Amino acid sequence: MQRSDYLIRRVFFALATLVVVIGFNFFLFRILPGDPIKSIARSPRLTREAREKLRVDFGLDKPVFFDGERLRKGDVLGAFDTQFTAYVRALLHGNLGISYRSRRDVAEVLAERVWRTVVLVAGAETLALLFGVVLGLVSAWRRGTRLEMTILLWALISWGLPNFFLGIILLLLARGHLPVGGMATPGLKPEHGLAYWADVGRHLILPTLTMAIVYTSSYVLIMRSSVVEVLSEDYILTAKAKGLNTFQILRDHALKNAMLPMVTMVALNLAYTVGGAIQVETVFSWPGIGRLMYDSVQLRDYPILQGTFLLLALSVIVANLLADLLYSVLDPRVKAE
Amino acid sequence: MKANFWKLLAVVVVLNMLIGGLAACGTPAPPTAPTEPPAPEATEPPPPEATEPPPAEPVTLRVGTTTIWDAINPATGWESYNIRYWFHDGLIEWAELQTFEPGLAESWEVSDDGLVWTFKVREGLTFHDGTPCTAEDVAWSLNFLMEGMIGPLELYTEGFEEVVALDPTTVQITVSEPTALMLTARLHYAWILPRSVWEGMTYDEIMEFEDPAAVIGTGPYKLVEYVEDEYMIVEANEDYYRGKPAIDRIVIQQYATQDAVVQALLAGDVDLIDGVPTTAVEPLQAAENVEVAIMDSLQLADLAINSHVNGTQPESLNDPAVRLAMEYAIDKEEIIDVAYAGYGVVAASILPPVMGDWVNPDLEPIPFDTDEGNRILDEAGYLDSDSNGIREDADGNPLQYRLYAEDLATEARVLEIISDGLAEIGISAPPTLMDGDALYDLLEPDWDYDMILWGWGWDPDPDFAVYCFTCDSIEAWLSDCGYCKEEYDAIYREQGMTMDKDERRELIWDAQEMLFNDRPYINLHYQPVIEAWRSDRFTFTDFSAGDLLIKWTLVKDPQPVQ
Repeated sequence: MQRSDYLIRRVFFALATLVVVIGFNFFLFRILPGDPIKSIARSPRLTREAREKLRVDFGLDKPVFFDGERLRKGDVLGAFDTQFTAYVRALLHGNLGISYRSRRDVAEVLAERVWRTVVLVAGAETLALLFGVVLGLVSAWRRGTRLEMTILLWALISWGLPNFFLGIILLLLARGHLPVGGMATPGLKPEHGLAYWADVGRHLILPTLTMAIVYTSSYVLIMRSSVVEVLSEDYILTAKAKGLNTFQILRDHALKNAMLPMVTMVALNLAYTVGGAIQVETVFSWPGIGRLMYDSVQLRDYPILQGTFLLLALSVIVANLLADLLYSVLDPRVKAE
Repeated sequence: MKANFWKLLAVVVVLNMLIGGLAACGTPAPPTAPTEPPAPEATEPPPPEATEPPPAEPVTLRVGTTTIWDAINPATGWESYNIRYWFHDGLIEWAELQTFEPGLAESWEVSDDGLVWTFKVREGLTFHDGTPCTAEDVAWSLNFLMEGMIGPLELYTEGFEEVVALDPTTVQITVSEPTALMLTARLHYAWILPRSVWEGMTYDEIMEFEDPAAVIGTGPYKLVEYVEDEYMIVEANEDYYRGKPAIDRIVIQQYATQDAVVQALLAGDVDLIDGVPTTAVEPLQAAENVEVAIMDSLQLADLAINSHVNGTQPESLNDPAVRLAMEYAIDKEEIIDVAYAGYGVVAASILPPVMGDWVNPDLEPIPFDTDEGNRILDEAGYLDSDSNGIREDADGNPLQYRLYAEDLATEARVLEIISDGLAEIGISAPPTLMDGDALYDLLEPDWDYDMILWGWGWDPDPDFAVYCFTCDSIEAWLSDCGYCKEEYDAIYREQGMTMDKDERRELIWDAQEMLFNDRPYINLHYQPVIEAWRSDRFTFTDFSAGDLLIKWTLVKDPQPVQ
């Protein structure tokens, strides 16, 4: 099979997944219990007329998927004047809707929040990868020693620790030294320059550390087992026989081959990372996408939830696509699958 | 605030908490009094900058909360009413729970037929944007609310026929029928909004108005900055008609979890926190430089029994004898001890004791007595004929009920105790927990449940509490028990039109008694509002409002520690 065929197939699958996600995303929020108007009109003291006005405002007076009544009357086009078509049409225009909560544009809210989660997740992933690869390599190389046992034990324990639990422990330990939550001290702004960024940095330490610790462990475990496998290969023996030193063997032979499962792991992990971000951002009151989801679930802010789900699904799809593509570069066998 | 527990009716709770604690006034110091000796109470608002010269550094109070704000626009945002009141004033202000005092109006009179109210508006009032607030502006604003332009506030002009300014300091409100509610349940809530901001806006423009100007009012604090899910900063209004408040700036920082809020206070990141969970009270009390205020409030925890005429409840549940027997079988003390660490007061009436003489004194809590419960059921003919531990009614249908609550840890414990108690008298009611919205969906229009654990925060005026059991309240999505009785509705209507307070009180007592006997609710307990603050930063002395963040407490009470 040609490489371009492989690429086209992967991209096609990614797009197909996206279409399914878009449809699923719509219905997921319609089968949740609760009338969204009850959530929008959170004030029970709102008059009946005001409630009905809200229903029309948000297009919730229309049928969800298909208007059989109008079809029977011969109004074929009208039969599709529904919440679903409105959703798809808006989406095609890049319009993610209006937040029930603040009436702000969903895309605007997401754009404001997304970089905060990216900063957090990217920082944590980088740290985790760095330490995961190094510790994994070391423990595989030092197999059977006390050092390996220590690393392994630590990795297993922290792997089993729920994010939020570890977060709360760290929060208790650091209380008084580092801020308990938030992104910056209220009132500080990017205009304040260095003071602001230093403050944001202080707020970032705990959440980043929490995520990094948990993800490091999974990378350690993967890295260790794949390096152990690689190290048992004949070509490693050959390398040793050639007189290469430990560092050269690990870098040029073991690492490169052991990276394949790591690529998959990182791509897969992205989905979990996002889930983890919800917990970590909630524990540390970090106002990113995860926290937005948490709050929006509580407020039943469907447009925001739809927007975040779409964004997350998109990021996971793209990450997997990239992993697939990267695979074909790293491992020529993949193309011929 | 226990936002989750009260989630479904969060707004009402918030709204009422703020007015809520006002209740304590006039009653002797409650057993759950704050940990500091309350100072003697000032009857009139003391001038804020009374004794010492203003400190050079602006005084900043940092507040930690978990309340999720929605929008700052009063037309679309309904959370955090206590904070919204910092920006806005009404013609009347609550002074303490059962008293009110002049607000933007300095005096008023009502015609003999009770239909024409004339208010003298203070002179020299200005909005935060510098525009004057005269009687014309007041009249304009009330008319604006009457048009329903600010949805949540429309209700507070109910019954208003006409509002006109007679001259720059006089406003006249004509009502369709005499009302007892004008001062206590209308004008305090009907904020006076600036014409300069709102005039000429269409309904759609108003609904999308996410501009800080949306909170311009005449109140003691002005909005400086609001960042969604992060913080809000307000600063003192120098031109406030009662004088500039003692605290120059307030920063409200929003945390995602109650644990974080408690930790933030312990760490000194914030100076005051609200909604302290009962489980955090002891650690906070033990901490250095932290004080805890446990304040009586207007919060009721109840077990709502499906009373809707088209409800799906079994016939036996409509029998007052069964309901009474169930109340005997519920150990309310244990609920308070186990689920709420002992903080709470056993309930009899729907109205908590802080509502003073509105509470019917003849209603006593039903004691925990399963023998009595069993006796009542035996006498009423519900016997366990097949000896399976569950009683049956005359037609052989078992006394088996669906018992629901929201899926929260405290609710689970409460439900367990209720279920165990009912089992003791031969009633099977296995506890079921579910999502809050799913729970809410069981009400209107299907009424498909038997019993639901529920809660309320009432207004200081009993009108709202009593209203929640009328037939109208079902339409308004306020009823959670579906109770609807002509006789009761007649009492409700009458009390709202009875301007003589003693006569009105009799009617309110009658309403409570009717509810006590028909038992759409088994009233479980009244809950306190718990807040904590850093005593090394501020001194609070007035706990009568049940919330340290209420405008009238905040403006005159806290003193920074030098």
